Amino acid sequence: MEKKPEWLKVRFNQDAVNEVAELMRDLKLNTVCKEANCPNLGECYRQHTATFMILGSVCTRNCRFCNVTTGHPLPPDPDEPMNVALAAKKLGLRHVVLTCSTRDDLPDGGAEQFAKTVRAIREQCPGTTVETLISDLQGDTAALDVVIAAHPEVLNHNVETVKELQKAVRSKATYERSLSVLRYCKQKDPTILTKTGFMVGLGETEEQISVLMDDILATGCDILTIGQYLQPTAKHYPLARYATPEDFARYKQMALAKGFRHVASAPLARSSYKAWEALEETHDLY
Amino acid sequence: MEKQVTMPKLRPEMERGVLCAWLKEEGETVTAGEPLFEIETDKVVNQIEATESGVLKKQLYEEGDTVSVETPVAVLETK
Repeated sequence: MEKKPEWLKVRFNQDAVNEVAELMRDLKLNTVCKEANCPNLGECYRQHTATFMILGSVCTRNCRFCNVTTGHPLPPDPDEPMNVALAAKKLGLRHVVLTCSTRDDLPDGGAEQFAKTVRAIREQCPGTTVETLISDLQGDTAALDVVIAAHPEVLNHNVETVKELQKAVRSKATYERSLSVLRYCKQKDPTILTKTGFMVGLGETEEQISVLMDDILATGCDILTIGQYLQPTAKHYPLARYATPEDFARYKQMALAKGFRHVASAPLARSSYKAWEALEETHDLY
Repeated sequence: MEKQVTMPKLRPEMERGVLCAWLKEEGETVTAGEPLFEIETDKVVNQIEATESGVLKKQLYEEGDTVSVETPVAVLETK
């Protein structure tokens, strides 16, 4: 294993994470923090925040960068929307991020479960904002319409990497489809903030990153996240390099200069890490 | 009172961890919340915080040792 740079150190306190971990277990909920082995889990759980992973912890795709288990998932849990809302209420979250395992086995890809969960949060936690971090829903506009109609404040879908590495890194997803998801959502309801993210350290060049930013921006996307790819195990897609904090600062400047409304770019920046900050900075849009 | 500090289970499938550095020497005072040692996992280096205050009485493993989860790695003398 290559030696980790100084900027990839995180703090962990068992007692501090137990409360959130137990709450999730009691309500039979999953978090992407745990399933993806997120390095920020210790910090986020300590601050009583988490990103809910609805539709179960088993994914129907097998992307080479991702730590989530692949297999045959169970049908959606009808109690899940209300349990997420109750957990959000108990944690006192002012901004809830919902993501999912990709459910190609469901006719709507799980769109209705997203919508039900957004509605349950509206009912239980008035004033709380919601961000849906969705799969590509196989580009099905009817399914996207279901999520859009629930009107999350932020609709996030990750492009993950530059065009040239899509096939090697993602499973069944494509560059064009991901961009079209972002474009469609913005066109359908411009009052919803759209957001996407990508990783660096997979072998991309700076020129490819610049083109990627241009392509994302052309969809009307408001918010961008850029983080370091961290190889979950030796079996996953090989790490090409650790980008430095200076590299991330440069990417941020590049993205802001191109016209993104908000950019989170740091080694440990993740799609939902401190997601409320992006919303606060751009909230005049809705 | 002596308390054992164990190798934490940082994720469900974690069976063991590499204790890559001690951040406190034997005999040093430790305050709850201060980092005590580091574990390297596939993604990052985790600085493990003490959950209680006391004096680090004994380091049970050396830097570089691989330790099974929930195994004691240190003895802390608490008040």
